[in-house]
Amino acid sequence: MATLFLDILTTASMLFIVAAGLMIILGVMKLINFAHGAFLTVGGYAVHVVTDAGYNAWLTIPAAAAVGFLLGVVVERLVVRPLYSRPLDAILATWGLGIVIAQVIVFIFGREVQFAASPISGTAELLATTYSAWRLILVGAAVILGVLLTALLYLTRFGLNARAVIMNEDLARGLGIDSVRVRAMTFGLGAALACAAGALITPLLSVDPNMGLPWLVNSFMLVLVSGVAIPGLALASLLLGGAQVLVSTFVSPIIGGITIVVLAAVILRIKPQGLSRG
Amino acid sequence: MHGAAAQETVKIGIPVGLSGANSVVAPSVVQSSELAAEEINAAGGILGQQVELVVADDGSGAQGAQRAFDSLVFQSDVDVLISMETSAARNAGLPIVNRAGKPFIYTSFYEGRSCSPWMYVDAWVPEQQVMPIVDHFADNLSAKSFYLIGSDYDFGRGMLEFTRSYIEERGGKVLGEEYLPMDGSDWTAIISDLKSKNPDALITSTAGGAPNVTLTKQLRNAGVTIPYGNLAVDEGTAKNMGGDATGIFISQSYLTGIESPENQKFLAAMKAKFGDELKTPNDLSVPQYEAIYLYKAAVEKAGSTDPQAVVDALPEVSYTGPRGPIQMNKQHHTPLTMYMGQVTAEGGVEVIKTFDNVDPGEQCPNL
Repeated sequence: MATLFLDILTTASMLFIVAAGLMIILGVMKLINFAHGAFLTVGGYAVHVVTDAGYNAWLTIPAAAAVGFLLGVVVERLVVRPLYSRPLDAILATWGLGIVIAQVIVFIFGREVQFAASPISGTAELLATTYSAWRLILVGAAVILGVLLTALLYLTRFGLNARAVIMNEDLARGLGIDSVRVRAMTFGLGAALACAAGALITPLLSVDPNMGLPWLVNSFMLVLVSGVAIPGLALASLLLGGAQVLVSTFVSPIIGGITIVVLAAVILRIKPQGLSRG
Repeated sequence: MHGAAAQETVKIGIPVGLSGANSVVAPSVVQSSELAAEEINAAGGILGQQVELVVADDGSGAQGAQRAFDSLVFQSDVDVLISMETSAARNAGLPIVNRAGKPFIYTSFYEGRSCSPWMYVDAWVPEQQVMPIVDHFADNLSAKSFYLIGSDYDFGRGMLEFTRSYIEERGGKVLGEEYLPMDGSDWTAIISDLKSKNPDALITSTAGGAPNVTLTKQLRNAGVTIPYGNLAVDEGTAKNMGGDATGIFISQSYLTGIESPENQKFLAAMKAKFGDELKTPNDLSVPQYEAIYLYKAAVEKAGSTDPQAVVDALPEVSYTGPRGPIQMNKQHHTPLTMYMGQVTAEGGVEVIKTFDNVDPGEQCPNL
């Protein structure tokens, strides 16, 4: 019972961490970043490069975030901004970008699975059961992430501008907010979050050119269901992640893999605006 | 068309997964083929003719294999096909081989029971790979209950089905048998189920590459330390898993640590030819090397490259290569020396037990 509870909690945390970057970009830029999976992969390779060079594994997370931010800002300038007035084309462009990033990774690193050291390994004792220590840390990471993002959005100038742009971009521009800069910073932030998420889940996954791809679909469905709100994303992660764990445990792991997608479709059919209030 | 004397080269067709699921291992297969060809040519070729390799991408799947086999057989008019590929690709290529009447040496381990008068197999089948591990776990590590985990496809299910029946034949119990799709990476529920059922040993047969790594990492993260036999991991992947792979038991017909003079000579020659670009020789690339030599021996015995003569000669010739003596005389399959190894903390594989002359069993009783 304790194991099931922890499985649900940790799975939800992983989903939250992975989807957060996608949600931020969707909120501010009304854009689904289909290169999100590729950014996760870049985060994984950042872990490989950093630990292969001998540095401490904990450094991989800020390193991945930094790489992600730079990559995001560059991509926004070169790929997304020119297509600002053509949102559907912009979405397609991010899909193509994802393919390009994956192939560049193959060029540089090859197709094989790469080595990546974990910051900690092994188990911890909790609730009278031994459980994966890193998964428990991910719960903490998700909470910290949620708190930091909320602080960013509600306690900083950037957050204020971003919320204005999320609500109504034209009005925000009319009030003098430089929405172009907000979008650039947001994409950078979203990419940084995606890469950091990739680094955070690497201890549980393999580092290969397609590692982020399966997470793209689940993140996409999660974000559609949650709407643009951090509490909404947390709720959606618990709900859908919990459903996935329950189905995997009691029905079959193979069917469990499609639970999130199916459940998301059902929820959106019943409540098209998702779980958020607006 | 009797062109053997008029042709200038002996053409060996190699359909292999340069793209797709096998793309990670295909380079090693091409490398070992190139070494074999180079060595044979330096020693005068086959019946005085130089060997030419024709490599075609089969996309690791049925459609690509159909194209590759068609082009090799009907356009390039190769004398023989020698290759490692997925079962899907092999099943698509076999009808073309049968129609054209070309010798085909299949060099990949597989789930067994694929038969054709034109095809010979020099790699292992489940009867040869699974039994050593189960025997070791049951006899030496007192395992009575087992848990099986695999990837949901032909090979994964086929291997575990065989494993289950052998375990039960030996009086053991299988407490759980769970699968994930080939690209699945979330083993959480399966691992929790394993921990709750508390088996004595674990045997897995996932797709190569990523699933091995994700499963092993998540197992170790969850504190699973029971004896773990992996039917589908190779030394290269094990090395890249760092400490997580330590202790895993593998059963293969080739390990780089084999101490025979043939293997030392082979490894030295590969290192000399490829240097830094060398892809670790493995249980999919070494049978390829040996198959080319077996073909050479068959042609020399038959006195020509005529397909029927070669096919008749193939079961009668043997070659002692890095894996030891190979002769495909058991219903088109070959008895093999199987090596059971354990992954060390440094990522290498230590050979702990050798099983000589393991019989492939009844693979093609009608041939």
